[in-house]
Parts: sequence; C-alpha cells; structure tokens
Amino acid sequence: MFDPDAEFVRKAGAGDARAAESLVRRHLPRMVSLARRMLSDAAEAEDVAQEVFLRVWREAPRWKPGAAKFETWMHRVALNLCYDRLRRRRETPDAEAGLHVADPTPLASEAWLAQQRARAVQAALSALPERQRAAIALVHFQELSNIAAAEMLEVSVEALESLLARGRRALKAALADVAQDLIGDADGASRG
Amino acid sequence: MKEGRDMNRTRFEQLLEAYGADFARWPASERAAGAAFASKHANEIAAALREARALDAALDAARGVAPETTALAVRVLAAAPKRPQGVDRRVGWALAACAVFGVALGYGAGLMAPVAAADDEYFSIAFEAPSLAPGDDG
Repeated sequence: MFDPDAEFVRKAGAGDARAAESLVRRHLPRMVSLARRMLSDAAEAEDVAQEVFLRVWREAPRWKPGAAKFETWMHRVALNLCYDRLRRRRETPDAEAGLHVADPTPLASEAWLAQQRARAVQAALSALPERQRAAIALVHFQELSNIAAAEMLEVSVEALESLLARGRRALKAALADVAQDLIGDADGASRG
Repeated sequence: MKEGRDMNRTRFEQLLEAYGADFARWPASERAAGAAFASKHANEIAAALREARALDAALDAARGVAPETTALAVRVLAAAPKRPQGVDRRVGWALAACAVFGVALGYGAGLMAPVAAADDEYFSIAFEAPSLAPGDDG
C-alpha cells in the first residue's frame, strides 16, 4: 500500500522542518474542516486540529507504515477527539451551547439567505447521531472514497452505506421543513 | 465493497440514498454501472435523482469557505520535532573524525621524534659529575 505521506512523516519525525510544513499545509485545513463539521464550533475545531498534530509530532519519530495510511490514522484521531468533546458536552451541558452570536454586520438579502441556509444545514447535521454525522462529513465534505471513509470509521463498507443512508434520510426530513421556512422568509424579504 | 455486483433498481436506489446524486462519490466499482443505469432508466429514477440532488445542494450550501489556518499553522509548527543540537549530523561526524585524526597524528609524531635535549643533559649530569664522597679529595 503506497502512502504518499509516509516519507514526510519519517522526515518530520527526524526534525525536518520542510517535511513538517508539508504535512501541515496538506492536512491542517482538512482537520479543522472535519472538526468544525463535527463540533459546530470554530475554536474547538482549532483545538482538536492542534491536538491531532501534537500527536502526529509525538508519533512521527517512530511512525511505521503499517496497516493504515497516515491520513486514515489522522482522521481516526480527529474523530475520536471530536467524540470525546461531544461526550463531555452531553455530560456537562452548557446553557449557551449551540447558540450562535448574531453577526451585527448587515447582509444583503442573498448573503443573508445563504448564511441562513448554511446554519440550517449545520444545525440539521449537528442533530444527527455522531457516527452518521461523521460518515456524511467524510464522504460528502471531505470527499473521501467509501473505502477510506469506512477505514476511518473502522466499519465495513456496508455499515458505512447504512450510516450514510440513515443520515441522509434524517437530513432530508429535517431540511424539508427548514427549506419551506427559508423560502417563506425570502418571499417576505423580497416583498418588504 | 460489492465488486462486480449487477446494477438493478434496488441497488441503484441504495447507492443514491447513501452517496447522493453525484456519481463521483459512488464506489469506484459501481460508478460506471450506476451512470449507465441512470441514462437507461432516466424516467423511472427521475424523482429519486431529483430529491438526492436537492439534498446534495443543501449540503453544499453549508460547505462554506476553507478555514483560515495561518495562525494555527504557526502554533502547530512551533511544536514540531526539531533536529538535535549541532544542527547537522554530518557536521558532528566530521568533528569526530578530525579529533581522531588529531590524536593519531600526535601519537605518531611522538614516536618518531628524537630524544629531547633535556634527556641528554640528564645523562651528562649522572655520569660525568664529580664525586662528593669523603676521602676522594686527595
């Protein structure tokens, strides 16, 4: 199995700054995106991505290309950190969790509508069970293959398809109502 | 992976429900068969395909811009492993080689050097000095 990151990881582990930069350039934005999708919180997503890389730096000197590709291992670490944070949130509910601070900047109606849609979709994603959310984040947003996504979730491809299908069915139901509201709001805004 | 599985309406709808309407997201082994099925049975699957496209579009609406990670990258790289002190291992080997060569050179030079003048003087004093024993005077 060819792993395009293996050589960079080996060199980064030996202190090669350029190899470390290459790994960061290639993977950091993807780790942040995945964590944002899972946690719906930009600051927490950065914390998760940083923690992923601290583990990368710790493991890099003794990294051996083995059963899993480096990218697969990274995604597993990121997902597990996200699951931990989601579990802690459930155990210590925060009264302000999930509330978005209104952006005081006035937006043109199209930009406002796009922002509302994005928030509605993210809210619907956040309401999914975390494994379904992770499956959709990996396949739709991270654009990974079914095989890679199944490896990252440590399930079979059949189980991945089941997670995806259940997640998409739930989203379809949730977003049908939201879409109607958005259309109504847009009509109201255009009349006003 | 369902390698070589025949495409039929049931399987097509399973894949559509799981991966959406963009065949690029479908399993590589079933992508071509799915696209062929879709063009052959366009009328039958039109409604299901439209629904799946609508959900794909809704998800894409939440994609947003790529996160800005410049400051985070600086923090992350600050914690990356550093080379051991001495900067370059090759420099360390070169210094070690110089030290060994220097010691060997010094040892060889010591073997080949003539006896020192101070030693000559010592022998002169030992064998040529007048005796100081009593009774030797006369």
